[in-house]
Amino acid sequence: MKQPGETRITSERPVAQAFGAMPTGRPGDVAVFPYLVYIEFLAALLFSIVLLVWSLTVDAPLLQEANPGVTENPAKAPWYFVGLQELLVYFDPWIAGVMIPTLIIVGLMAIPYLDTSTNAVGRYTIRERRLVISHFGFGFALWWILIFIGQFLRGPNWHIYWPWQDWSMVKSAEATLWDFPWWVGLPALIAYFGGPLFLAQKRWPWLLERLGMTRYVGAVTLALLFYGVPIKMLLRLLFNVKYVLVTQWFNV
Amino acid sequence: MANSRTDKLRRGALEWITASQLYRSIFRHGYDDTVRNRALEVTSNAFLHLHPITIPHHAIKVRFTYCLGGLTFFMFLVETVTGVLLMFYYRPVTEYAYADMKTLQYAVYFGMVLRNLHRWGAHLMVVLVMLHMLRVFLTGSYRPPREFNWVLGVNLLVLTLLLSFTGYLLPWDQLAFWAVTVGTNMAAATPFFGAEGPFHGLLGVDGTNDARFLLLGDVRVGGSALLRFYVLHCVALPLVAGVLMVVHFWRVRKDGGISRPL
Amino acid sequence: MHRGVCDMNNEAALQQLVELSRREFLARGLTAAGWGSFAVVLGAGTLETVRFFFPRVLYQPPSTFRIGTPEAFLARKGEADEYGVIFVDERWKPEQRFFVVRAKDRVYALTARCAHLGCTVNWFSSLDIFKCPCHGSQYHSDGKNFAGPAPRPLDRLRITVGVSGDLVVDTSIIYSVERFEADGAFVALA
Repeated sequence: MKQPGETRITSERPVAQAFGAMPTGRPGDVAVFPYLVYIEFLAALLFSIVLLVWSLTVDAPLLQEANPGVTENPAKAPWYFVGLQELLVYFDPWIAGVMIPTLIIVGLMAIPYLDTSTNAVGRYTIRERRLVISHFGFGFALWWILIFIGQFLRGPNWHIYWPWQDWSMVKSAEATLWDFPWWVGLPALIAYFGGPLFLAQKRWPWLLERLGMTRYVGAVTLALLFYGVPIKMLLRLLFNVKYVLVTQWFNV
Repeated sequence: MANSRTDKLRRGALEWITASQLYRSIFRHGYDDTVRNRALEVTSNAFLHLHPITIPHHAIKVRFTYCLGGLTFFMFLVETVTGVLLMFYYRPVTEYAYADMKTLQYAVYFGMVLRNLHRWGAHLMVVLVMLHMLRVFLTGSYRPPREFNWVLGVNLLVLTLLLSFTGYLLPWDQLAFWAVTVGTNMAAATPFFGAEGPFHGLLGVDGTNDARFLLLGDVRVGGSALLRFYVLHCVALPLVAGVLMVVHFWRVRKDGGISRPL
Repeated sequence: MHRGVCDMNNEAALQQLVELSRREFLARGLTAAGWGSFAVVLGAGTLETVRFFFPRVLYQPPSTFRIGTPEAFLARKGEADEYGVIFVDERWKPEQRFFVVRAKDRVYALTARCAHLGCTVNWFSSLDIFKCPCHGSQYHSDGKNFAGPAPRPLDRLRITVGVSGDLVVDTSIIYSVERFEADGAFVALA
């Protein structure tokens, strides 16, 4: 079967050395078959086993047949959207249900066009990219924290129930909420979105230099929009503020 | 020397099989462990040929990728297979949908296990795709020249969530009904295009021509919503996801291969 | 860009257009026609697809319900709370999704559909409030929102006295907050 010019792989000729001679391989490369393929196979096998055992032991939920007259109490979205549902407590639906998801998607897609450095690629570079990773990590963590709160701490009528509290306990009415008057809300919003643009430029002048105007404004605006979410939540939780800005057409 | 005799027999049988026309018509490579065969095993196989022939040594370390992308794709395959099987018993009509879930549970062999596999597999897929995104971020693998593949990946993340959400309605139980009522009412809050969103009056949008109606085919969650979600879940979204996945995998190869330190 | 024809007032451009050979004229015309029909086909296809999803006829269940005589509501006595509400009748909530509110001098129908995201709100008579199970919106007994994310009070439904003398609620006719009083979304009790 051996054809002329073929290299047999033996224990005396390590794979890397054999492939070093191949036009496609760089020195140090290994053959995909079998070294990668068997890892993929084993990973798939492992997950098949886990999934099968899980499915044999835990049944998927199925409640009563759908009934438009009776709302489940509490009525929860699927867990991966419970974070957004939690945001619905703090924001109007057009923000929590439409603008925030859209901005998350657009923001994620914009990441490689804002952070265009080609350093630190292809390995875990947490120490070298502290700034970028701490922002992304905070967002990723917030997503999961909101899911945790919505999934495990929200009980009937979407009240907070601690895990040791009984759901049959009726919670009393909540405090009445108030809005900022427009002459507070409007300047506050302008200062919030305008101020950091200048302050960040003063504090870290290299940022604007490295990113250029468009990227700088885009990145700072996206970051401010993102941090506005927990800030608004804190305003509600600590001071019972419902809207920062009330207008005739929409409320923020 | 019985050992050498069985060994000889084994080699003979192997040679007989690998030399047959049938074998050679399917596999265009030899069986011996040679460099040439290792390359051919990848390039002459429709399923494996998305891989390169060789790969940097560090990239096959499990602790680099944790196989997250590949496992997400594997979950998509599991969902496809179990989903197609479930379709044999499920009718997307309000009168039958819930009853068919009960049939699957009580009257069909392994019906419940299949449904569990489909449900838990979907959850696993959502978790895996999010972790895959985290891994790609932490290794800086979205940076040029891989920007566009990251964009494709974000689209695939959204599609995974949409697939999960459309599937959520199909059991037609209380959990499904109210989750989807809440979810689709958010569409009604879309600025300009939702009947309850800001500025909807400018375009003359009301409950019967807004974004929510597009999803539900009605002003409330009912039979047409069930049918629309079913078609999206079983046909439209998987097709789009499939196409994007092909491009996503192809671009891994074309945008510089699996990410490596420079 | 030597073929660019933009400004017809420009003498040179006009001259250039006049001097177009027949072949060039044809080629340019065909290009325009080609791209034009491409755009038309694409546009028509998109339009058709979008329009396809909005059918001409909707099959809806009946939306009017008789809820008994005004006298029956007048007969039940009680103390009015600070919002002028004597009692909230929940009998039609499970099936028809509305509440009937008996105020001091009137009866009106409140939809049970939360003004936030459309869950069915529940009445808590001991607390004298409505609560939504989905995102915790809370309303006073007259439907006014005071806590949680609800952007406006509960909507009111059309309520009239029918030919039989019964009160009739039409769940398909919804009154906006501003027009409760103006449109008379209530029945006055003698």
